[in-house]
Amino acid sequence: MSSRRSRSRQSGSSRITDEQISDLVSKLQDLLPEARLRSNDRMPSSRVLQETCDYIRNLHREVDDLSERLSELLATSDMSSAQAAIIRSLLM
Amino acid sequence: MDRKRTTPPPPNPNPSSPALLVTRAAASPSKAHMLAFHFLRALSRIHRVTPVRRRTRTIRRAAYSSMARAAGPRRAWSRALLGQARSRRARTLARRAVLVRRRVLTAAAPSSPAARGGGRFIAAGGETSAAAASRAALPPRQAGEPPRADALRRLVPGGDAMEYCSLLEETADYLRSLRAQVQLMQGLVDLFSCQ
Repeated sequence: MSSRRSRSRQSGSSRITDEQISDLVSKLQDLLPEARLRSNDRMPSSRVLQETCDYIRNLHREVDDLSERLSELLATSDMSSAQAAIIRSLLM
Repeated sequence: MDRKRTTPPPPNPNPSSPALLVTRAAASPSKAHMLAFHFLRALSRIHRVTPVRRRTRTIRRAAYSSMARAAGPRRAWSRALLGQARSRRARTLARRAVLVRRRVLTAAAPSSPAARGGGRFIAAGGETSAAAASRAALPPRQAGEPPRADALRRLVPGGDAMEYCSLLEETADYLRSLRAQVQLMQGLVDLFSCQ
């Protein structure tokens, strides 16, 4: 943590400042699902990264579950009315 | 049927109106349309062509591919996903012959079943031991970078090659797209189950 000020030496051409990093981290914090429940104070960046990892893992799991449900529904559903509904929703 | 028409669509998470399917998915309607277009096109192909036992796996891959296509090549994570899909397709053709021979020789269990989680999907691109070793030995790119960033690198496609700053940006964009994709799929599931 004490080497933060000398981080500007690390990157090549552009100086990546502390503020940029914390700005990006707070943007990530806003994307988290419970961003509204928490106060707008910034969480420590390690906490933000941890929650982001958990959130991404949850979303991956949801994609898996939804893929499975979709494959079941594709086999059983009535395609013509579903197609009409989809086209309608896309055109609006 | 008449019951559905007389009541106005209530503001609940499962809308009877399918119009919300698309506008809910992303902030700008054009991005949501691109996402829906790619995914629905893939779904219709899967419905026609893919045998039933492989559908879940193929639908999952189609979800990530259409996410990447809708995002376009200007994002590192979408480039990584499209590159992985391309190399997997090329490798599948080569591996089929090898697997047949291996199965005959060893009579061991076949290759792993449908991988759970997008993390495994991403790792499928680097299944060779060399890739795994390089991934495990990757040091943090910057001195001030928290150790949690390694887990994030593994989750975000193409994360291994990024600087910490770009990793944060790409993660935000990936997260938004992933959320939109999940909402699209959820809307489709609702749509199909209401019929």
